Parts: sequence; structure tokens; C-alpha cells
Amino acid sequence: MLLAMSRNPEEPVYNRIEEARTVLGLSRQDLADKAGVHYQTIGYLEREEYSPSLVLALRIAKSLNQEVSELFSLTPFKKGK
Amino acid sequence: MSKKNKIYWFEGVTEKGVKALLNDEDSKFRWLRPQQNRRVLVLLMAFGLVLVSLGSYWPTLKTNLNLSNGASVVVYSVTAIFVILVVLGGYSLLRISVRSIADAPDELLDERQIKVRNTSIRYAYYAMGYVVLALLLLMFFGPDLKMFQPEGNDGSYLMIATLFAYASMPSMVMAWRERDI
Repeated sequence: MLLAMSRNPEEPVYNRIEEARTVLGLSRQDLADKAGVHYQTIGYLEREEYSPSLVLALRIAKSLNQEVSELFSLTPFKKGK
Repeated sequence: MSKKNKIYWFEGVTEKGVKALLNDEDSKFRWLRPQQNRRVLVLLMAFGLVLVSLGSYWPTLKTNLNLSNGASVVVYSVTAIFVILVVLGGYSLLRISVRSIADAPDELLDERQIKVRNTSIRYAYYAMGYVVLALLLLMFFGPDLKMFQPEGNDGSYLMIATLFAYASMPSMVMAWRERDI
């Protein structure tokens, strides 16, 4: 039934978008404009509720002057690293 | 310098309309954004659609309720106006509440929004299966339906309700499921 349907579980992609964005002094809207997505999508990504495509990951990394591997990981990032 | 507003006839939206809703944060429809309010709207819409479909059984209902001619005209008119307001207003508000994402073409959405839209349409397809099943059961087991026949129950209301359900189902599913829109 519709009420009981759940979302497809996805393998989470951990990221440091918020950290990198804050360092550059960008708002979510600024980053969204640079990456060509809606600002809410940035929010979903930062909360790790949405896993980006490779193209989007590359665009975000470029917008934040980072390498994709520095920004995204399949395992949680260690704090302070 | 005004850019031409592209009309997407197949989807029933315009470029400016969708973009305005996608970027609208301070509108008078801000109250529609919380999921709880959207769910209330979905329930209201579903109730309105059931009322529309019951219009098909008005001749039988009128007889069973033993209403006089005057009373039946009043009850019918008041109910019809309420239903029109709920269904037409509900349909418009539903589309606003989900920022038209359920109807928007790929080129106006980002990849997450496209995914959300596609999932909503898939579930809407399943939900419509139940609506069609209910319709078939009504046709087989309900009181006689005679299309556009004044002497019988007029099946056209069921058709109208089904068409409205078909048009609004993706938005209803999205409004119900999505936490943030």
C-alpha cells in the first residue's frame, strides 16, 4: 500500500561539502548556483540523504576547489581531517 | 529584454511558472511547504474526488434520502459548489505545494528532483491501479451506471473523478512522501 511504501535504501556517500563550503564563505544558494542544482539539493547532500551522480560530484568538487576524493567517501570521514 | 516563456504542452507547465515556483521562498503559499499541511491537502483532495464520484449515484441517493425536489436541488447545488472548490482548488494548491516538480520536464529540474519526480510517478502508477480496480468493482457491483442517461445513475462523474485522480496523483504522492520540497 502507498502508506507503507519506503524509500529504496542506498549506500550512503559521506561528504565534506558543508565544511568546504563554509571555509570558502559560500551559502547553499551560492554553491547551488555554481553547481547548477537547486539549493535544497545541496541541503540533501550535506545531510547525506542523497548520493550524487559522478557528474554532480565533479561539479561540486570543482566549485569548491577540491578533488572528488577529498570531498566524497564511502566511509565516514574522521573528524578534524 | 524579455525572454520568451516556453510552454511545455505535454507536461502542462510553462518554463517561467516552474522556475518561479522552484525559487519561491517568500510567497503567500509558504504555509503549503510543511509536510503535515501537504498531507492534509492530499486527504482533502482524495475526499473531494470521492465526493465527485458519488455524483454518479445522485439519482439513487436522492431517492434513498427521500428528498423533496427543492431540498434535492439545494443539497445538490451546495455539494457541487463545495466539490468544485475542493477539487479545482485542491488540484491547483497541490501543484503549487510540490513546486510543479511532479509535472516539470527534465530540463527544468536537477538530478535529485528528477529522481523524486520519477519515483512519485511510479508510485502514482501503482496507486492508479487501485483507483481503476475500485472503479471496476463499482461498475460490476454498484447500482446500475448508464452513461449520460437521465433515467439512470450518470457514470460521467466517475469518469471525471478518475481523470482528476490521474492528473493529480503524481503531485499527491509527492506531497505525501517528500519531507522537504
